[in-house]
Parts: sequence; structure tokens; C-alpha cells
Amino acid sequence: MSPLVRRRSFLAALAASMFGIGLAGRGALRAAPSSGKARRVIVFYFPDGVPTPSGGPDNWFPTGQDASVTLSSTLASLAPYQKQCAFFRGLSMGPTDAGSHPGGAKKLLTGVDGGNGVSIDRFLASGVGKDTPFPHVYLGAMASQNNASGDKYISYPSAGTTSPPEDNPLVAFQKLFGNGGPVGAGGGAGAAGAAGMTAADPGELSVMDAVKGDLADLQGKLGAAEKAKLDLHMDALRDLEKRLKGEVKPITPAGDCSSPTVDAKGVDAGTLYQPELFPTILRAQTDVMVQAMACGLTRVGVIQASQHTSELIMSRFAGTDLYTPNYDMRSHQASHYGQPSDAKFPTYTLQRKWFVEQFAYLLGQLAKRPDVDGTMLDSSLVLLCTEVGDGNIHSHDDMPFILAGGGGGAVKTGRIFQTGGKRHGELLTAIARAMGDGVQSFGQDVQGPLSGLLSGLGPRADQPPCAGLGSPRRRSTRGAHEGSRTMRSP
Amino acid sequence: MARSRHDVDSRLLALALVGSAALGGFAACSSLGADPSGNASPSGAGGTGATAQGENIYVTLCARCHGPKGEGDASTPALRDWGKGKPALVEAITGVMPKGNPEKCTGNCPSLVADYILANFKGGAPACTDVSPGKRALRLLSRREYQATIADLLQPGQSSASTCTSRTFTFSPGTQTYKSVHVAGSFNGWPKTIAEGGWPMTFDPQKKVWSTTHTVVPGTYPYKLVLDEATWVSDPTNPATVPDGFGGQNSVLSVSCTSNNQLPFDPTTTFPADARPVGFPFDDEVGRVVTGNVVDAYWKAGFVVGQAAVEKGLSSLVPCDPKADAKGCAETFVRSFGKRAFRRPLSDAEVTRFRGVVLTPPDFTKGVSNAIAAFLSAPSFLYRSEMGEPQPDGTYRLTPWEVASSLSYTLWGTMPDAALLDAAEKGELGTPAGVEKQARRLIGDPRARDAVASFAEQWLGAETIRTVDKNAGMFPGFDKDVREALAEETRRLVTHVVFDGSHAFEEILTASYTFVNEKNAPLYGMTGVTGSDLVKHAYVDARAGVLGHASVLGVLAHSDQTSPIRRGLFVRRNLLCETFGTPPPNAGGVPKVDPNATTAERFSQHSADKACSGCHKYIDPVGLGFEYLDPIGRIRTTDAGKPVTKGGDMLDVEHQGAGTSAPFADVKELAATLAKSEAAKTCFVKQVHRYAHGRLEDAGASCAVSTLRSSWKAKGNDVRELFVAVVTSPDFLVRK
Repeated sequence: MSPLVRRRSFLAALAASMFGIGLAGRGALRAAPSSGKARRVIVFYFPDGVPTPSGGPDNWFPTGQDASVTLSSTLASLAPYQKQCAFFRGLSMGPTDAGSHPGGAKKLLTGVDGGNGVSIDRFLASGVGKDTPFPHVYLGAMASQNNASGDKYISYPSAGTTSPPEDNPLVAFQKLFGNGGPVGAGGGAGAAGAAGMTAADPGELSVMDAVKGDLADLQGKLGAAEKAKLDLHMDALRDLEKRLKGEVKPITPAGDCSSPTVDAKGVDAGTLYQPELFPTILRAQTDVMVQAMACGLTRVGVIQASQHTSELIMSRFAGTDLYTPNYDMRSHQASHYGQPSDAKFPTYTLQRKWFVEQFAYLLGQLAKRPDVDGTMLDSSLVLLCTEVGDGNIHSHDDMPFILAGGGGGAVKTGRIFQTGGKRHGELLTAIARAMGDGVQSFGQDVQGPLSGLLSGLGPRADQPPCAGLGSPRRRSTRGAHEGSRTMRSP
Repeated sequence: MARSRHDVDSRLLALALVGSAALGGFAACSSLGADPSGNASPSGAGGTGATAQGENIYVTLCARCHGPKGEGDASTPALRDWGKGKPALVEAITGVMPKGNPEKCTGNCPSLVADYILANFKGGAPACTDVSPGKRALRLLSRREYQATIADLLQPGQSSASTCTSRTFTFSPGTQTYKSVHVAGSFNGWPKTIAEGGWPMTFDPQKKVWSTTHTVVPGTYPYKLVLDEATWVSDPTNPATVPDGFGGQNSVLSVSCTSNNQLPFDPTTTFPADARPVGFPFDDEVGRVVTGNVVDAYWKAGFVVGQAAVEKGLSSLVPCDPKADAKGCAETFVRSFGKRAFRRPLSDAEVTRFRGVVLTPPDFTKGVSNAIAAFLSAPSFLYRSEMGEPQPDGTYRLTPWEVASSLSYTLWGTMPDAALLDAAEKGELGTPAGVEKQARRLIGDPRARDAVASFAEQWLGAETIRTVDKNAGMFPGFDKDVREALAEETRRLVTHVVFDGSHAFEEILTASYTFVNEKNAPLYGMTGVTGSDLVKHAYVDARAGVLGHASVLGVLAHSDQTSPIRRGLFVRRNLLCETFGTPPPNAGGVPKVDPNATTAERFSQHSADKACSGCHKYIDPVGLGFEYLDPIGRIRTTDAGKPVTKGGDMLDVEHQGAGTSAPFADVKELAATLAKSEAAKTCFVKQVHRYAHGRLEDAGASCAVSTLRSSWKAKGNDVRELFVAVVTSPDFLVRK
């Protein structure tokens, strides 16, 4: 029996157990006052840049001025959401390691050279997202292919440190929704899990106390470097503990959370890295992410499609324009098209188009789910990103970020922002602000949020940004930011 | 700068296409390669003066490869007594050093560091007298270590490996007398004499029988008994025989091992991958951290294992009756299980803590299950401590318990056994001699095979053959069974050399044989091999050692074409420990290529273009020498319809910038060159050091590495001796 079938069979009981712990009675969305804040953020990453050779043709960027935007054919699938997309020209990741895939991946979400800072997703997860059942949901599609080295991952829980995403959509689904309901991590021992865990199990809590006690003992004995490592461990344990104790509830009001399911036909631990299954896996992870968001389980998610310098053989995607039997064309291979006249250039463009279509699918899933003041897309921020600009030369300038979603009214969309070479950290700062984090700046060589992007409805600079965040832990894990980010005192 | 081509995995190909001339133009390296937090900016370093700045730059950017005193090593040129003047040195540094990251030394940085080098590095290299302490560490168990540990933890007092692989051979001579009888077979390389590795049998005059007991890894082996090192006979006690090809019969030994301590499932399937830094091949790396994904996976695994353990019955875990005295019995369990889980005795406070977990639920069995879950999620279980205790001189010496763990995880890949914990308890691991005694016991135990095999398949990248993509249309039949046979083949060859063969490093490269079954034999052109057990078989084509392995060759190729770059880089990086940086900003792009050109022709741009050739002249000629081996490691004669290029060249194998050339016709000749190379042996020392320490060696390790190299050389490059030396080295036992 496939895992899918088995999962479907327990969906009913599962739903019951889920709603028992906080989702019940939330069928009708109450109208909430417009917060001017984004309720959630999803980062959607794809590898190996975009087709924008310096001498043209530009096969990526939209054209037009300000609000009059014409999409390129590569971005055509974004047409239904065009008014909710912000496009950027001239955003730079800075000169350090320019020309390098890993160097770009390190800067992408940290805004700091060499990945020497916490990434924006982790920053928000431990800040505005910390009181959700799963503060940080990091899902991958073949992100750990071929014994990936750590620099393949874009999410930095602390300066200089990565940790891999969950590459298996079935495991991800199970973790978020399965065996013990969305709150427990799944006292998977059997009985405890299946029982639905409506109340915390004293036995499991005693286990947590013992584990935390042991961790605290160890923390007391160590030097700074090892202690930082254990701080991350403790953060993760506390998140789990809060779920076990029911101290975190899904955010309310949430969206439609009636019957979480995932379709991952043919996917199991043995097939996770077969390129033929990549589209299925990415789609499944996207579905899991959207449902986790709809159920209010998290505010912060990252979907990492493949890895930089990707060996993903995209010519194996059956039923797509990319499909070429008995001919293997990889993402990174295509990105080195050499000259636009090379046959690889249109292939590379089509590959990017495929990734954008997957991003558009994510937007579509959000757009069809109701939320406060409209749809989930209206209340979300969704960032499309890749670790380099033009893939042929690994440029770190004119980065092809796209910020989609209404952000609860916090951002201005439907236009192209001419940034004139500003650091992409300004975009990351704007995302943090739109999420309600008052951080002054995020990333190096950044003074504040990208000019003009915020609508002004969000937390303003004249409000005390640190007050009320209630995060005693906005601290060591982002040590490298301390120099560049300034918390204003009230 | 002209453009070049980089369409392969950056992990294998992060090239510096930055000129070449200086410092011999070969593998130099950046000290920041594996340290993303190293944000030193020497160009703007604020020292107290020019000298301090120069020193700061040297220590930060140069010392890891060139040595703290410019002494260099077998992998890097020395900088002492630079005789070409400052302008030449500055020119050599500017835009080139640190190799691959020259942007880290711009402005007046080259001049400052040149002054420092010229002022300080005079005269012969200082003798290496003191081995510096290694670094303290808290090391998360890797997934494979976790698996092995769980299996051992649930089977107190048993070593399934040694019981299921131990075989006793006997021979009754009747009225005949012999001076010697030994066992020779495919398991030990058919030695003609005991001196060549035959397993000597000893004679019991009472029972009038010769016998010996040996450990044999699971498999099927032909063998004979050799009387007086002259007369070969089949084993009269063994009815299983096969023709020996000389008109006689070989006896056949079949060893299968159905271990009884395997869980019916793998609790680690939901563990995220063990990420490693670029260029670091081993899974047990110090930098790995625990985040939400990982904590949840551990948590779940702990409960699953706890439940499975109690379902097998409490008796082996709980040597007391909880009905008589629940509290006392809980304490007994916690003390005994906890000592094994934490690899050290529990403090009284810890006993109270975990006893509380046992006693929380009304059901004692459930409590035990929960307590096992608690132990398995506890950091004292999940991390191996190499923190040590402070010494008067400011260093930290590993405690006996830490030594026990470090020995067993390095040499066995799993937790210590009872004897090792006893040795720690009795204080026997407090002296170098005591540590060495245990290290020798461990390396002589069958479990060491697993650890050395795991080391080897990571060092060689061979394990990835299980999953690396190959185009099914081009390579039909390259299925799971073939891949598994190839992965296992590499493990077997290395463990055979290390434990059963000559024990010498060189033979890993030069072995004229390999291990095959019916699945992988056809790839090598071998016929008549049947069955699924791997048997020793001579190569029948131009191959030698692990460089001839389809696992290694297949991983170092794309799904549908070879990659001379990957293969060349593998030799340069994994076997010679050379370092290549990341591409400069304007690298990339490639002139339009002819789809009908051979791979070799397509890469000719690298040698034609000076900007490329600086690095590629060391890489491509090596990789192109493998072109007669296709993407799954088979011999081929044509590529794109044209004859493949034949032969390659190994420039400057000893890294000293001497411009030497070592042409080779095939991997067999390349292997011979490498086997003779001092640089390759020094690199192997570094690889074992990296594996044992879980990190790249820093500048401070240069004395440890050179000391280890000397002692290993004196032991005839016996790999077992190197592993023992690394775990008994002062830098392993003392940290800072």
C-alpha cells in the first residue's frame, strides 16, 4: 500500500483530532481590522539564475515604467497575479563572491557576505512567527541531492550555519499534520500518536523535562562556540515543547483547513532524488506548505527547489516543454549557454519559465483560499528568488527577485521598482517590516527598507519597533547582524 | 578576461581561473575555504602597525596551507628564504593568493604580507617539536553513527559482528607431522606462506588437531589448507567444494550473518541529510547543528526505538523486578542503560532525573520506553563530547570517557563496548600507552572494518553511486543491484587491503584485483562470475585499485557523459589534498561548442586559453587520461563516434612547483605514480585526520600531520597503524 493511500485512510480521524486542538469552529472567517501587516511569508527558491545576458536579449525582466508593466514570456504565468507582484531592477547582492553560485546562495537570504548572518526566514521565525506551532517550515525538492554540501542550503539558523530542509513531502506532511495531530511532534511511539493528543501526555512531558535538563547541564559547561550550537538546539526543543503543551495555537483566523492531503504518487525515500519525480515532489511540497499556512500552523515558510549549480536533469520532466527523451539537460548546464545564439539559451529560458510556473501555482493556491480581507494571497508575502542574476556569468547584480502577494496591504505591488543598485538587504528589511517586525535594517550595507515598497500602513519608523515583540531571544544567533542592524529603543 | 566553461557541480568544480605563474601556479589555498564565519578583511585589518597587519594577514589567509612558519609541506610549497626579491613576491601574491579568493587580499595587502614573509621566514624550516592541541568539539552523531549506536545499545553485552563472522578451521593430521599448517583463500589473498599473510593454525598435541579461529566478513570464499607451506589440500572437514582450475578442488566457506540486533525498521529514515562543508567528504563534521526538523526527527525516533525495545521484552534491559521495588529497579535500569547511552556514568542528579521519567506513567514498561526516548533525545547521547577537562597549562585533556567514545566512533563507527567502558572506568585511558592498547584492540576487531569501509567510501565519494543519476536509455540495466555491488566492491577492496592484504596504503591504489559478483563483473569485462557474493577477481583490463572502480568513475561523471574535470579534480583534491577556489566574477560562459566533438575536444579550450590553463593544466590532463572509461566506468574506445583520447599527464605530482611531468597510459600507470608520491601519502594522513577530528586541519595541525606522516612511514604505510597513530596523537587527546 502506498503511503498516500494509507494517509488518506486516516484523514477523517486526523481531521477530527486536528480540529480538537484549536481549528474547530473556525470555519467562518471573521473580518479583522486591516492590520496593514502581512500575515505570513513564503520564500520560493529556484537554482542557477535567469537568462539576462548583458548584451541582450533579456528573457526575464518585465518591461514598462512603474505601474505599467509588461511581462516577459518567461514570466507569462504570473499574469493573473501581476497586480500583486512587485518587480525590481538593479537590486545588488554586493561585490563579495560575485561570480559564485555558493557565494550568492550565502548572501541571498542573509544579506551578509559569506552567509555570516542569520537568514530573514529564521529571523522572522524567531520573532513575529515564534508563537505558531511551527515557527519555521523549510521544505525542499531534491535540495540534498548527491550528498549536498552545506552551502547548498539557503536558510541560515545562525551566522555561518545551515541546516537542510525536509526533502520528503510525505515526511513533511506527517510532521505537520500526521500522527498526533498538528500540535504534537508525533509521540510516534504508537498509542500516544494515534490517540490524537488533545491533552499533553504527562509521560511525554517528563521526557521533555529530562531532555531539557540534560541540555541545560551541558550548556553550563561549554565555551561560546559550542554553547551557540546548543542554543539552536534549545530553541528547537522549546518549539517542540510548546507544541506538546499546547502553548501555541494555530494563528486565527486561519484559512480553509478542512482536509489536509498530499498527492505524492511514486514518492518514497528511495525515489526522492529521481529527476523524473521532481515536478511531483515540488508540487507536493507546495501543497503541504499552503495547507500548513491555511491551517495557521506557521507564518514563515521556505520552499527550496533543487540546489545551486543544480544537477537536476530537467529534460526528464514528462509532459512539459522541457521533455527530451534520451537527452540529459541539467539546470546548471543549461545556465552556461555561452552566447544567446547557443541552443542552450532557449532551453535555459524554458527551464526558468517552468520554475516560474511552479511559483505561479503557489500563488494560485493562495489566491483561491479565503483569508481575512480577501484571499491568502492578499494577506501574504511570497518571495521568488535565485542565487545569481544572469546564470551564464553568475552575476550578483540586477537580481531577479519578485515579491508577490498583497502583504495585508503593507506593500505596493503591480509595479517595477528601479532601485539603482541598492542592496537586496533593503528588500529583506522591507519584508521584515511588512511582517510587523520593526527591525531598522537587515543585512549589511543597508540603512532601511527599500524606498517606496512599503505602503506606510505597516509599523512605522516612529513607532518603537522593539517593544512588544516579546522576544527575549533576539540575540546570539544573529550576532553577525548586530553591527548592521540597530534596534531602536522606545 | 576570456571566458571559460563551468557547467559542472561547483562542489567538485569551483575553480580559480586566476592566472597561474606565481608560487608555482598550483594548488595553493584559502584559509577561509571551510569557515564561512571567517569574515576577516585583511585589506582593512586594523593592526597596531604594518608588521602586525602583515602577520594578521598571513595567519588568516596563508598559514593553513603554507604553514605557520612558511615551512610548507608535501602539499604546499615552502616560502622560506624567498630569493627572488619583494617585487616578485608581491606579483606572485597579487590577484592569485589566496588561491581562488584573491579578492581577500587587495590594495596594500600583498605588500604587507610580503614584508612579513621576507622578514620572518629565513633559514631552514624550524623543526617540528611540539604537536599543538586540536580543537575542542561537541560532535553531533551522524546518521550512520546513530543507526549503529542504536543497534548496539539495544543489545547489551553482545557484539553481533564478531559472533556471526567468526569461523574455526580444523585439520586432523592423523599420523603425519607437519611444521606448519595455514589457511589460504580468497579472504586473505591466497598467501603461499604464513609470512605472506597465511592464517597459521596451531597444533593441540592432546587432541592431535590443528586449528585456528578467524573473523571473515559475510560472503562466499574458496580456500585451501597449506601443509608445510608446500602442499595445498582441500579442507577434509568441509563437504562444500568447487573445482580449483588445476584439476583439484577448493573448499568453499560461506559466511552469512543474520544479525539479531537489527531493528525491524530504520528509525533514521526521517533524519535530514548530514550536510558537510564544501570539500569535506565526511558525514561526522563538527559544524552540524540541530534545528526544528532534526529535533522532531530525533524525538520521534526516540519513542519508536523505546517502544520497540520494550516490545522485545524488558529482561535484557531491566535486570530487576519492578513489582518488588519500582523505584530501586528504575534506578538500576537508569544507571546501567544511561551509562551506555551517555557513554559515561550518570551523576546522581541525572539518575534522579531519568528515574523520574520511568516512574511518571503508571505502567513501568511504558516508563522504561519513555526513558529510552528521553535518553535518545538528550544531548549527552546525541553529541560526542570532545571538550576535555582544563589542564594547568590552559589546554584541555579528554576525559577517559571521552577518549573511549572518540576511539570507538573513529575506529568502529559506533558506541564503546563494555571492555572499553571498563578501561575508562579503571583509569586505563589516562596514559598514552593505555589508549594505544585499546586502539589496537579496536582496530583488530571486525567492527573496525565497517568504520574503515565508511571512511573509504566517503573519502572516495563512492557511496554516492547508489543514487547518482545515470541515463537509463544509455545505460540499461544499471540498476539498484549493480549500484549496490559497486558500492560494496569499494568497501571490500579497501577493507581487504587494510585488514587482509598487505595493509599498505599503496595497494588501495595499485591492487591488481577487485571484488565482483554477477552484477558488477560484466562492467569489468569479467566472465563466468556467478552469485551475489563478492569474490576476489583479477582485473582483466587496464585498471588498478580504487581508481579502476566503476563506483568512483561513475560518480565522477554526468548522467550521460564523462567529466574529465571531475575526475581530474578528484585526483587533485581527494588524493593529493590540493585546493582550488571559486571562479572569479567574470569567469563563465563558453564559446559555442560542436555537439559532434568529443569530450576531450570540447575541453581543449581550457589549455588553449591562458586564463584557464593556470588551473586546468593540472586538472584536465589527469581527467582526460580517464577518457577510455565511460560514464559508468566501462572501457570504451569511441566518443561521439571518434576514437577516445588515450593517456594523460600528471603534472607536478609533489606540489612543489618543480614542473615535473608524469605521463600515464591508463589509470594503472597513474595509480603507480600516485602510490609512489609523498604528497599522496601526506594527503592520506590529512584525510584520516579530517575524518577523526571532523574538520579540516588548520595551520596549527601542520606539526601533527608531519609527525604522523613520519611515524606512519616508519610503519611501512600500514593503514591500521595510521588510524591508531591519529587517535593516539597528542592533538587528538589534548585540545584547546
